[in-house]
Amino acid sequence: MFCYQCEQTQRSDTATGCASQRGNCGKDATTADLQDLLVHATKGIAQFAKRARALGQPDREADRFILYALFTTLTNVNFNATRFVGLLHEAAKLRDAARARYEAAALAAGQQPEPVTGPATWQPAADQAGLLQQAASVGINAGIDEVGADVIGLRSLILYGLKGVAAYAHHAQVLGQEREDVYTGIEDALDYLAQDPADVPLLLQKALAIGTLNLTVMEMLDAANTGTFGAQLPTPVRVTPVKGKAILVSGHDLGDLAALLEQTKDKGINVYTHGEMLPAHAYPKLKAYPHLVGNYGGAWQDQQLDFANFPGPILMTSNCIIEPLPAYRQRIFTAGPVGWPGVRHIEHHQFAPLIQAAQALPGYKEDVPEKTLTVGFGRDAVLGVAGPVIDAVKSGAIKHFFLIGGCDGAVPGRNYYTEFAEQAPQDTVVLTLGCNKYRFNQHDFGDIGGIPRLLDIGQCNDTYSAIKIASALAEAFECGVNDLPLSLIISWFEQKAAAVLLTLLALGIRNIRLGPTLPAFLTPNLVQVLVDQFALKPVGEAKADIQAALLETA
Amino acid sequence: MDCAVRPWSVELRTLDGQSLTLPCDPQQTLLEAAEQAQWRLPAQCRQGSCGACHAHVLAGDYALGEHNPAALPKGAHGGILLCRTSPCSDLTVALPYEHSRIGLGAVPQREAVVSELVRDGEHTVRLGLQLQPDANGGAIAEFEPGQFMELEVPGQDLKRAYSLSNTGNWEGRLEFLIRLQPQGRFSTWLRDQAAVGAALTVHGPQGAFGLREHGLRPRWFVAGGTGLAPLLSMLRRMAEYQEPHATRLYLGVTREAELFGTAELAQLQRDLPGLQVTRCVWQAREGWGGFKGTAVDALRQDLAALGDAGDRPDIYLCGPPALIDAAEQAARDLGVPDEQVLSERFVAR
Repeated sequence: MFCYQCEQTQRSDTATGCASQRGNCGKDATTADLQDLLVHATKGIAQFAKRARALGQPDREADRFILYALFTTLTNVNFNATRFVGLLHEAAKLRDAARARYEAAALAAGQQPEPVTGPATWQPAADQAGLLQQAASVGINAGIDEVGADVIGLRSLILYGLKGVAAYAHHAQVLGQEREDVYTGIEDALDYLAQDPADVPLLLQKALAIGTLNLTVMEMLDAANTGTFGAQLPTPVRVTPVKGKAILVSGHDLGDLAALLEQTKDKGINVYTHGEMLPAHAYPKLKAYPHLVGNYGGAWQDQQLDFANFPGPILMTSNCIIEPLPAYRQRIFTAGPVGWPGVRHIEHHQFAPLIQAAQALPGYKEDVPEKTLTVGFGRDAVLGVAGPVIDAVKSGAIKHFFLIGGCDGAVPGRNYYTEFAEQAPQDTVVLTLGCNKYRFNQHDFGDIGGIPRLLDIGQCNDTYSAIKIASALAEAFECGVNDLPLSLIISWFEQKAAAVLLTLLALGIRNIRLGPTLPAFLTPNLVQVLVDQFALKPVGEAKADIQAALLETA
Repeated sequence: MDCAVRPWSVELRTLDGQSLTLPCDPQQTLLEAAEQAQWRLPAQCRQGSCGACHAHVLAGDYALGEHNPAALPKGAHGGILLCRTSPCSDLTVALPYEHSRIGLGAVPQREAVVSELVRDGEHTVRLGLQLQPDANGGAIAEFEPGQFMELEVPGQDLKRAYSLSNTGNWEGRLEFLIRLQPQGRFSTWLRDQAAVGAALTVHGPQGAFGLREHGLRPRWFVAGGTGLAPLLSMLRRMAEYQEPHATRLYLGVTREAELFGTAELAQLQRDLPGLQVTRCVWQAREGWGGFKGTAVDALRQDLAALGDAGDRPDIYLCGPPALIDAAEQAARDLGVPDEQVLSERFVAR
């Protein structure tokens, strides 16, 4: 295996990337290799799907499969090698169908079908050894000796950005939101990668185009979430247990949560959110279920301890799953793209076994005195108080905004984001997005003239909201986003964050502070390009960075 | 420092003040030693990179291997990663979590009643148990395929271990396939006293025999008699999860009259369409339509037929020790690496 797609990838003086029998995320070499091959296979589907679409014959089954397949290859999503064998064979069938569709469309249009080479011609090997042999030549660093690390790094940036795009688009798709231009963008990019491109300026341009595409996808996801469940409202969320049977739902898939809430209503089972599912409490149509009682546990990296202590079954709807311990292995279920060998998997919202488990497990014996935190400062909520916020900025009561977004790694000594939030001056407002907030969101930040100093915008999936808020502020102050008293402090962990970073860069946003480390696939040359063009900055010491950020827009 | 002296004694102190002591070789990591002692400590990457297994040495000398410095808690001496630390003396280590978070504890004990007792074949009974509600009011049967339970007849000083043949469930059902031994005390109890409704105490689940969940290799299962039970559990689990591995089962008995599990295997073949079942009768009569010979003979024949091509399967063995030894030898002779052969020995008592 060779994988360096996430922040926790192996780094030493001599080598970068996970290249042994097991990645640092827990993914074994077989699974990693099959994921590489699945990415290769999706390129092959896209090559034909793109051409068929150009002839007026889009293939919705292929479009959706590409989203799903790429999503399964994100960090901490699917660790089950057998699922990938199935997906590979499905990919070959869909590719064949896409080819037939393209060839028929071409002939119908009076054209001779063009010969398509590369991933389009792949045929799945009959056995494990054969598949792994195929995988060996299609990994992300294939051809590095010929094209060099910069080209491989840029191809990686595009592919990982695309994976993030696919994950967001899948979340929107399961809620019924799809757009032709999104599928076009994804398949064009995969077709581009299928040609093993090596032109550095063009690769950079394509990477930024992924950022633009991702903005569209996040808008679509925002429309899917708010359209299905209503606009987020500031909502206090209970973080202490309620007596009764209990189910814990983790991940990002609001559709899974909604279906489970519907299936568990009037059954005497309480549903708790975990991790990135926390913002669900702010959506009117979800919080309307009285048995969505609260939030449990900390960030994803604490799940082994949190899950072991939860007295009911657990549903993982998307990333991030880490190795289930024996203490809860029998009562954790995966759904959608998620998988772990030896863990029960649920498809198509068939939650009956999960509900049965909840009824059989003890649940909470007693209420614990109520404690809450508040979520739901989506753009409607924030812009609803835009007047007072703008007045506070104009009067000097609010000097600056810090948007602290993204995802933490598991490293315990990593206190930069906590220190940053807690040391931000009292006349500044901290906006949070994603799950790095778990390091500090129970801290009391107080308020500025009634405006809370800590405003949680939501999941990393809610980045669109943050961009809308920034754009609205810029409009109110009649300036550009870069001229606002706003600094972006971004931690990245996996590929959705790569997509978001590309979006911010594509929007021309400068002075982003990126940490906790820079992506391993960005070579020194590529980092320099980002520094030169976008004033991208690696995070340093929190106190010094706060001072520097305040000066940048002073 | 010379660390290679002897196994050291390592005391692990949990956040809630409990203490666990285990031996640890100088060549072992603390995490490996804990796992060897059947303790599962929270960990993630196991490569010194993620920091999920960080802990703190309170006393003693140790060697901390290659690791990501950022993965260690900052500011204090003695910070370690359990996956990268080996002892050079006796050690006392503080764990940053409570004892309840460790996969450890006394073997669970539950009350159950006989729900089914059916003779199947000449020497085998299928015993069904229904767990009684526990202190929490639940009756969950939580176990991994391949595990066993000890069954205790109350008041008779009689306890025997049997492998489970069903899969974990939320209804509290346990199923066993038990060979009746002519002089066996538990067998005698089953024959003469047991009936639906009889009470038993069960101790478990226990045991490490189980499916190797990762990987794609074909899975071949070789059962001698009621050694079928844990393998049946594994196969049923594969069917539940619709696992796609190429799968074969060899069931060996001495005489045709001993064959059992026909209905269960037929159902399994419906649920797991790729499953190939070979029934092997060692002393078969004329007209026996299945394999004539032992299950190991059949295994040897099919392994040889693989030739140099094809993936060598993972092999799961369960039955009497002689069968295990012979099957292991066959696997070794025909190129299956030792680490791909997993076994559970049935020793009659």
